[in-house]
Amino acid sequence: MDYLTVAMAKGRTAERAMKFLEKSDVRFSNFTDESRKLVIYDDQQKIKLIFVKAVDVPVYVENGAADVGIVGKDVMMEDPRDVYELLDLEIGRCKLSVAGFPETHIENKPFLTVATKYPLISKEYFDKKGIRTEMIKLNGSIELAPLIGMSDVIVDIVETGTTLKENGLVVLKEIADVSARLIVNKASYATKTADIQQFIQDMKEGLEVHA
Amino acid sequence: MYSEILAHEHERHEKIIETLSKRFTTYGYKRIKTSAFERYDLYSNVRTSINQNEMIKVIDYTGELLVLRPDVTIPLTQELVQMNGSLPEEMRYYYVQEVFRQTFRENEEIGKTQAGVEYFCESSPEADAETIMLACHALRDVGFSDVKIEIGHAGFFNELIADLSLSAELTAELKIIIQAKNVVEIGPFLENLEIDPSVKEVLEQLPFLYGAPETVFERLQNLRVSESVKQAINYLQQTYEIADLYGLKKHIVIDLGLINRMGYYSGIIFQGYVEKFGKPVLMGGRYDSLSEEFGIKRPAIGFACEIDSLVKATAHKELQERFSIDITVLYEESRMKYAIDITNELRERDYRVLSKPMKQTFHSKDSMYTIQLTELVNELTDEEGTTEFADFKELLEMIVSRKGVPEWTI
Repeated sequence: MDYLTVAMAKGRTAERAMKFLEKSDVRFSNFTDESRKLVIYDDQQKIKLIFVKAVDVPVYVENGAADVGIVGKDVMMEDPRDVYELLDLEIGRCKLSVAGFPETHIENKPFLTVATKYPLISKEYFDKKGIRTEMIKLNGSIELAPLIGMSDVIVDIVETGTTLKENGLVVLKEIADVSARLIVNKASYATKTADIQQFIQDMKEGLEVHA
Repeated sequence: MYSEILAHEHERHEKIIETLSKRFTTYGYKRIKTSAFERYDLYSNVRTSINQNEMIKVIDYTGELLVLRPDVTIPLTQELVQMNGSLPEEMRYYYVQEVFRQTFRENEEIGKTQAGVEYFCESSPEADAETIMLACHALRDVGFSDVKIEIGHAGFFNELIADLSLSAELTAELKIIIQAKNVVEIGPFLENLEIDPSVKEVLEQLPFLYGAPETVFERLQNLRVSESVKQAINYLQQTYEIADLYGLKKHIVIDLGLINRMGYYSGIIFQGYVEKFGKPVLMGGRYDSLSEEFGIKRPAIGFACEIDSLVKATAHKELQERFSIDITVLYEESRMKYAIDITNELRERDYRVLSKPMKQTFHSKDSMYTIQLTELVNELTDEEGTTEFADFKELLEMIVSRKGVPEWTI
């Protein structure tokens, strides 16, 4: 029996996605929040769920190690891969934004230092606006950079804005809307068309119930 | 130990090349070679060519800029155009060569072995369906059971956006969205464009014009499209119907959102996938206008397989080998199904077989036997004369009993 292999990152998005699937009677009863398992199967042994780091999801899918992946649009924008992007799961909604101190005017500066997890998207955004920039790639606690004077602004995903507020920062510009996407390997879509379309249908139904 | 594994891989590599070459010759293809170095100008002058950054450049002692052969189709087409006049209308060539391209992905080899065919002939659903059959046949020979060929038509997208006068930038963006079947973003993207609502509707439907042929063609019937787009659809459908006669139904997926990286494709385009391998192992299509860049119209269709991908994809398979000889099957249109059946059967028995509609101009000098199927009679012709036959069994007996023909190898 051939499984449909689905890659996603552990966390809230994965839990919501599993909830969606329950509506179509696809259940993962072995799964508990505390479990450290990296591979789990659904009760009917049709779907094999693998947990990987979010930024790696598109890599697994492009190479065919996973047929389907669930991943934030921000990851896809920063590292575009040759895959199909077939569904917006409308979960993990947030905005990719430029943030900084309220008095910062990014257009007036001759040169801008930007701290971010997303150097590619940020560079493209500022290039389009004709603003010269220097990128500082960070992997976490991005908000700290302007506070200690390492950068003028940051580019990061903003959900509620609480972290920004507590650190005295505000959103200066919005770059793009972000939410979780369902991506599919191109070869898998050709060789397992029916299984994948069924999976997408199951997701859609779950999505409608929860909307 | 490591070198043993390496040797094993090389052996597999050679076996796959041998298997593909043999299959190509059963469809009448002859092997050719092109130079390892090509003039840089050849590639920079062709409008829809290979990305200049991807080519490996070399300078010779006169200061001329050369590139390591980044593809075979372009130099071969140019060469044939230059030799024009002394050449027949139809030519079938295959090649097994390294091509060199540097992409920006880490871990990717610069040199890759490709085995491919180029069939120079007038554009026709018959020729295209046969080429697709060859692609599928070759992959089956290598040992795959679950072969899927995705077929689209370059004219569909090109004609669709022809009247929209989009900027090059917007066209590129739209192509990326279409290639990703990005259902989420195509709506908002089209919203911002001032284009004909009927075209917008079709573009929005594009990600769903994928899947089993019958379903896709049915969906297409409900779309309002221009005459030129309709022509592309009809051509695709005719090609599929003949491919179906070849017995390819379960191997074919229609994908109208298929846009190939190489911009010179003008008609049918296709990609081959096999079980448990995440990337296409074969790509091809019809490129009728490429030769016009060199001044003459010489339509053609072709495809290339990535040998390295096939080596990886067959990591757990035993490979089989085949042998072959020559037969030409000519048929009147009403006998096409029977001709295809015979062709399939003979090829199954490892004969080199050509099959084509009957035309007065055809010379069968190159084949040992010619089979002619008309409304009235089935005939087999060789140097000794012409004989009638009633059915396939009788035909086989006749071929085996005549001298100069080897026994079955199976």
